[in-house]
This record gives sequence, structure tokens and C-alpha cells, in this order.
Amino acid sequence: MPAFLERSPPSRWHALNPLTKLIFATVTALVGLIVGGLIGPLILVTVAVLLPASVAGVLSRLVRTSVLVSLPIAISTLLINVFFFPGGQDVLLRLGPVVATREGVSFALEILARILTISGAITLFYLTTRPSELVLDLESRGVSPRVAFVAHASVQTVPAMLERASNIVAAQRARGLDTEGSLVRRIRGLLPVVAPVVLGSIVEVEERTLALEARGFTRPGRRALLWFPADSARQRAARWLLVSAVPAAALAAAYGLLAWLP
Amino acid sequence: MIGLRVEGLAHVYLAGAVRALDGVDLEIGPGELVALVGQNGSGKSTLVRHLNGLLRPTEGRVWVDGVDAAGRTVAQLARLVGSVFQDPDRQIFAGSVRAEVEFGPRNLGLAGTQLRAAVAEALAAVGLDGQEDANPFDLGDTRRKLLTLASVLAMGTPVLVLDEPTTGQDARGMGLVRAVIAAAHGAGRTIIAVSHDMSFVADDFDRIIVMSAGRVILDGAPEEVFAEEQWPLLASTFLEPPLAARVGARLGLGSTPADAALIRALADRGQQLDGKGAKPPHQPT
Amino acid sequence: MACSPGSHETCTDTVLSLRGVSYRYAGATDPAIRDVDLTLQDGELLGIVGASEAGKTTLCLVAAGLAPRTIRGSLSGTVHLDGEDAASLQMHELAARIGICFQRPWTQLSGVCETVFEEVAFGPMNLGVPRQETLARTDEALTALAITDVASRDPARLSGGQMQLVAIAGLLAMEPAHLVLDEPTAQLDPAGTRLVADALARLAANGASILIAEQRTDLLAALCSRIIVLQAGRVIRDGPTVEVLTDPELPRQGVPETSAGRLRRLATEAGIATELLDQALD
Repeated sequence: MPAFLERSPPSRWHALNPLTKLIFATVTALVGLIVGGLIGPLILVTVAVLLPASVAGVLSRLVRTSVLVSLPIAISTLLINVFFFPGGQDVLLRLGPVVATREGVSFALEILARILTISGAITLFYLTTRPSELVLDLESRGVSPRVAFVAHASVQTVPAMLERASNIVAAQRARGLDTEGSLVRRIRGLLPVVAPVVLGSIVEVEERTLALEARGFTRPGRRALLWFPADSARQRAARWLLVSAVPAAALAAAYGLLAWLP
Repeated sequence: MIGLRVEGLAHVYLAGAVRALDGVDLEIGPGELVALVGQNGSGKSTLVRHLNGLLRPTEGRVWVDGVDAAGRTVAQLARLVGSVFQDPDRQIFAGSVRAEVEFGPRNLGLAGTQLRAAVAEALAAVGLDGQEDANPFDLGDTRRKLLTLASVLAMGTPVLVLDEPTTGQDARGMGLVRAVIAAAHGAGRTIIAVSHDMSFVADDFDRIIVMSAGRVILDGAPEEVFAEEQWPLLASTFLEPPLAARVGARLGLGSTPADAALIRALADRGQQLDGKGAKPPHQPT
Repeated sequence: MACSPGSHETCTDTVLSLRGVSYRYAGATDPAIRDVDLTLQDGELLGIVGASEAGKTTLCLVAAGLAPRTIRGSLSGTVHLDGEDAASLQMHELAARIGICFQRPWTQLSGVCETVFEEVAFGPMNLGVPRQETLARTDEALTALAITDVASRDPARLSGGQMQLVAIAGLLAMEPAHLVLDEPTAQLDPAGTRLVADALARLAANGASILIAEQRTDLLAALCSRIIVLQAGRVIRDGPTVEVLTDPELPRQGVPETSAGRLRRLATEAGIATELLDQALD
């Protein structure tokens, strides 16, 4: 088998089986939601997001990406909760009719910590796992190749669609489409851009379907894969352990065992 | 009739990674009939996108009708420079042929009888008259391509830029495209066609600009560009002179890139050899 | 046992035969092709020409079995593949026996393969071919198309011509009995067209049976031994390449002349003897 097909992962974290990485990310996000307070999620972020990220060598990219992604929702959450927290008594700041309360700030920070845990976990997974790895792993575990293909291909269509959309905008602007005028004019300008993207994609899907069928895509049954990610008994055990952490955390929270975490 | 000029034009993509245009100086006079050739990646598509402001120069300047394009929006330049793109499916959006062709001229402010006349004329020029109510996606590939040509023709711009107008066309479509270009040229429009069909450009255009790696490497009439001494340069950019040029060179008739030129040269040679005078040759125009 | 062209016998040398085939797309009032008779012999390259919408694509789709299986419509007449009636075969069974290539290179990529190697291996893998054999077939297909040097590259980043070669390699890896190519060079630049033309010539020299529809009559003149002309869905001419492509009726039937043919015609119209021209043209 040609050497380039044996993907050599850049780090030990990358080398983990995609299912392991997926479960790790999911469990981290869920536990982050369950555990209340501020310190709990922060510890989780440090241990389950930042630490593996630095092992994988993606720390700076992860911080940048997950902060950028969470920024819109973080800002709106902060604003709403800091200024409009119901029952807030301890006033910190008064801006005209709105007041910032300590309870509000504290609640907002807790939410922020959870948001960062979830986005960090997802970003870690996204940065250390190639889509093809995950799809091949699922297929090796018995998922139908056709289902796996559809999942994989839909992820890949986004960049193609964006490129297509930008070409279309260029063609329509060359015919005088006003993208710099009033709002009304710009809204009217949506159809000449959106329609070809959609219609053209439909035409393309027809052609793609023909090509796929011509390559035996519809044959029922499994395929002999050239390569799929390795797995181990240790990772299997670790996955079970991780999964069990979710009900464990839920129970602990229910019994107030985590109340000591501020 | 308007002309265009670019001076020291450079364009860089992807934060310095790709220098698609590397210092181009060109002047295209009013009413000229110009073909732009070169392999993919030579910069020809990048160059023409500067002519209507879709791309802005990284360095250098672009003048359209004597005015710096930098001071005008794409919508303003679209009144002067009409551009037909290569892929009809990245443009067609309307439910009917008529609505599709109306889009451009309507954006330019045409309405009522003027609009209807412009649309009718454009459709007739590409052989789609009678198809006004058809759905563009019910037309075959070649007729959809002719539809995009009509859509820009109807705008009546003094400059017409065509990106690969003959790709994928059948014989009838080719004939229509050539007729449209000849008519537009006759009406005084400045025509710039990007093409990789060498015999088409040799036969139908007065001036050929050859690009490679972001620069102009040859610029002149077909006889000059396809002359035998230029063949190694053309080969280096994966372009091959048309058959007529190769035959002319093989027969020692000089540079005859267009079919008509070769026939004329053969006729002249025949008259020389056959001193008695064969029947007068019919000069194809 | 050799068969004469146009014969309706089922010969062992006939890899594909269409008899009285008409095809009407679902929802259309008229058939796109009518009463088509066609035979492709083993090791033959048969060209199909005609104006756009004359039925070339439909003929290719029917030959490949995509019509009426994937593209809904009604087929009348018979299609025989290696002497066997193709009607009973399912699409994936046909895929292993006949490969079809379309004009747009980028829509033929699976979109999920990160390297050319995997892209070419996609077909055999779908067919359930065991791993070792898939690897062997992929290597062979890459060699046959002379694209081994791009095996590790991302197929989406290749030139149009290279993508077409990858598409054809992907078909060859399924080891079909014959190939159908629907205007494979229509969207390519001259360099890409030359790549594909050279590859097809190589395949032909190795005995491939190929049905190829094209507008570029120059290409067909160089590759094919026989040409079929379609007009409004019917076969109006079926004969040796030189005869068909020099027929003066051809332009009226919507088929472009070959470059050499056009020069000869112009010379004759100008009253110039064509000996000199003929000399230079071989």
C-alpha cells in the first residue's frame, strides 16, 4: 500500500481513535453542563481541553477558534445576564435605566464557563480529527458505506458552495446587480444570487448522482477498506469509563456533592 | 466607442501567495477586436475581471474610457463593460428566458419599449427568438450558454468581454457566436474574448494578446503572433498554432494563421507557378 | 470471428449492441433517440457526432445503462452487452462492465477522497473488490493513464485535464469491458484535451472498446475507425471515419468540419488545386 495512505498522525492525541476523541468531546461538554458553578467548568476546561490541546500542538489555534466561535453568544449572554438578571440585589454599576448586579455578573460568568467548555471540547475534536478518519472508522464499525458517504460529502459541500456563491455574485454584479446600494435594493438582489446557487447545485447533484451510480455506488453491502483508524482494548475501556462519567456527574450534582465548588 | 488601458497592473491573491498578474501594460483602443489567450493560470481571467471592477489592482491602474476605474463601482462600470462568464449555471436564475435577459438592461435603467426592443434584438442575435417563455433549464447546455451571451448583449455596453465563448458549443452555436462578435464589432463595440480555441482567434480577431504567468509575452496581429519564429514561445506556454499556420509554414508560404490567409497565399502561389493563369480565385473574405 | 459493421448478428466480437432502441425521458412528449442500431466491436473506437441535443448524451446514457435505471424514462428496443440482454442487469452490475465518463471533470469526483489514489480506488471498493486486488487494480489504472506521479495529490486541486484522467482511471479500475465517453474534452483547454487524447490513443492501442461522443471532429478523426452521425435522435450515417467526416452534408447536419476538411473545402471553392495542400496535410 502506498506510504501516503498510511496517515502519520502529528501527535499522540491525533493518533487516538476518532470515536474515542468524539466521546471524549461529548462527555466533556455534557459534564461541563451538569457541573454547576465556575470553578468546576474551569478545571474541566484546563484538564480536558487545554491540556490535550497542548499535547496535540493545537493550543493556540484552539484558543483562537473557540473564542471566536463563542464570541457572539458570549457577548449577548453577558449583556443580558449582567444587566437583566432577575432578583439581582447587589448593584455594581448603574447605566441610566439599567443596572449591573453582582448576582448577574456571577451568573453570566458561570454560563460563559460552560460555553467555553462546550466550544473548547468541540473545537478540540474538530482540530484533531479529519472527517475522513471519522467516516472510515464508522464504516469499519458497520455503518453503511452509503450513509457514511452522505455524511462525509455533506461536510465537503460547504466550501464548494461558498466558492460557487462567490462566482455567482461576481457574474451578477457584472450585469449591474447592486450590492452596495440601499437595503431594499440589496434584498431584491438576493434572488439572482441564491437561485443559481440552489438551482446549479441541483443540476450538479444530478450529474454527481449519475457519476456515483456509474461507479457502483448503489451496490448493497460493505466495502473492503484500504485503511481505517486503529483501535485498542485500552481505548475501548477508556471510552466506557468516560461514558460512565456522565451519569456519575449527574448523580453527584443531584446529591449536592458538588455544592462545595463555588 | 471606448477604449481601455492598464498600467503596471499587478494582482496578488491569498496574502502574497499567488501573483496572478505581474506588471501588465496594455492599451486597447476603441472598437478593437482583441483575443486574450494563454493556458489556465496565465492571468487572462484575472485581467479581464479588473476591467469591470470585480477585482481591484494590488498595484497599478486601470482606465476605462479615460477614467480611473478605482473611482467607480462595479455597477457603474457595468454600464460600460459587459462581461459574459464561462459557466452559464453560475449566472442563470430566472424562470424564463425573457426575465433572464431583462435583468441586465433593467439594472441599467432600461424600461418599457426600449427594454423590450433590447431583449428581442439580443434573443434574435443568438437564435433564441421564440423561446422567450421557455425555462432556461429546459434548454440544452449550448443554448444556455447562448442565453448568457444574449443577457449581456442586451445591456448594450460599448465594451464586451467574453470568457471562453466557444467552449462546449456545437457547429450552429459557434456560427452564432462568431456572427454576434462580427456584428458587435461592426457596430463599433470594443470586443475582448478570452479563448483557448486557436483557430477561432486566428480567423476572427485583429489582435491577439498571449499571456503566461501573469505577463503579456506576445501582442500583435495573428500573422505576427503565430509566425513560425514564435512557435517555441507558444509551445512553452502549451499553445499550438492553428492548422492553417502550420500548413502555411510547411509550404513556405509565410505566416498564414487564418484559413482565409492560407487560401489567399495558395492562390497567389498557384498564379505564380501556373503563369497561364488559372480561373480567377474567389477571394473568401 | 469478425463481424461486418451494421450486421445484426450477435457475434462473439460484439461487446455492445443496440437494436431498434428508442428512449423517451419521463415527462417528455417525444423520444430523445429513435430506432437506433449500433454495434461496438471488441477493440474498436466508435465516434458519435451530431448537433447539440441531437441525442448523443442520451445514447451514451442508454449504452451505459444509466437510462432507464437512474434516469427515469421508457426504453424500447434491446441493449446487449457481450451478447447478454442488459435489461435484467442492475446498475452496480453494469458499472463493473461498462464505464461512463462525462464532460465536466469536477462533478465526477466523489468529493470524499483526499488523494487521487483513493479516488481511483473508489469504484472497485464500491464493488466489494478485496483489498489487495483493489490496490493492484488502482496501480494498473494509474499507470495506464500515466498519472502515477499525482497519486498522492488532492484530486480537487488538479487541472481539468488531469481530473478527467483521474475519472477515466477510476473507471478502468473497475475493469469494464468497454468505455463510453460523453464529450470528455468539451470543458478542457488545449493542454487538457491533448492529455486526454493521448491517453485514449494509448488505451485504444491496448485493445480497449470505446464509444466516444464529441464535437471535436479533429479528435475523432485521429482516434476512431468508425463514426455514427445523429440528427434529431436518429442515426443518419454509420460508416468509416474518413468517408463520414468528408461528407459535404456534414455541416448542414450540425457537425463541425475537421480543420483539414475545412481547408480542403475552402481551397476547392477558391478554385485551387488541392495537391499541395494534401501534401502538407499528411
